[in-house]
Amino acid sequence: MFKDLDPILHSQLRLAVMSLLIGVKEAEFTFIKEKTNATAGNLSVQIQKLKEAGYIDVIKQFKDNYPQTICKVTRQGIDAFEQYVANLQTYLGKG
Amino acid sequence: MKEEQISAEQSLQVIQSMISKARQDMSDNSIYFLVWGWITFIGCSGQFILLELVKYEKHYLVWLLVPVGVVFSIIQGIKEEKQRKVSTYVGDSMKYLWMGMGISFFVLSMILTKLGWGSPVFPFFILLYGLGTFISGLFLRFRPLIAGGITAWALAVGSVFVSYSYQMLFGAAAILFSYIIPAYMLRRKSK
Repeated sequence: MFKDLDPILHSQLRLAVMSLLIGVKEAEFTFIKEKTNATAGNLSVQIQKLKEAGYIDVIKQFKDNYPQTICKVTRQGIDAFEQYVANLQTYLGKG
Repeated sequence: MKEEQISAEQSLQVIQSMISKARQDMSDNSIYFLVWGWITFIGCSGQFILLELVKYEKHYLVWLLVPVGVVFSIIQGIKEEKQRKVSTYVGDSMKYLWMGMGISFFVLSMILTKLGWGSPVFPFFILLYGLGTFISGLFLRFRPLIAGGITAWALAVGSVFVSYSYQMLFGAAAILFSYIIPAYMLRRKSK
């Protein structure tokens, strides 16, 4: 039924991450973890998948001597998200 | 959240809930509006009282409160920067706008020091207050700030028609409507 829906985005956690990032400039890993209630391990895996798909940029840096991971949605990610929402609307419209 | 097959309705719910969660964390700038609102309000009304009622010669000394606000803003800014986990385009735009506004107020003060503070100065300050709050209101999509900006512009025009000391009261009114009242409304809304 959902053959047109992007499999990268059609997963609860990855979609949640993308929905969070779509409205902001950039967010820390801890922020995403807090908002999605995901475990650090699972979230890391899903963020890696989004990165490999080119939907987000992941920047690792140090802030006050602590490691910090910052995620940011890419142009490609925005296009994919918009396409996903448009496809979703067609499905819901049909239903 | 687990990796599992989700329906279109569930997808939509995830998107909606995450977008609203991100929005809840939008930076609340009301503290700056409140601090600067009260400093400039006390400045304008205090100068009026010192000049008109107390007849104190150095009535402008009340503006020494401004450096207090500058120090507070810098400390608060550094503190927020350290705690910040998410940055938004709106938050950045607000920051840049008010940095520019602060510099403009400073430059205007320098120009007026040369031209003489006896000339009508408050209309120009009120004009700038209006600009800053109007644009902030549009960024934050917060109507009381937009209305406050428009009110300030109207008061800037009105202040041209009154004497120097009464211009201070127009300034105080502009700050009340464009900073203080919207800031309390913004604070209540974000809680």
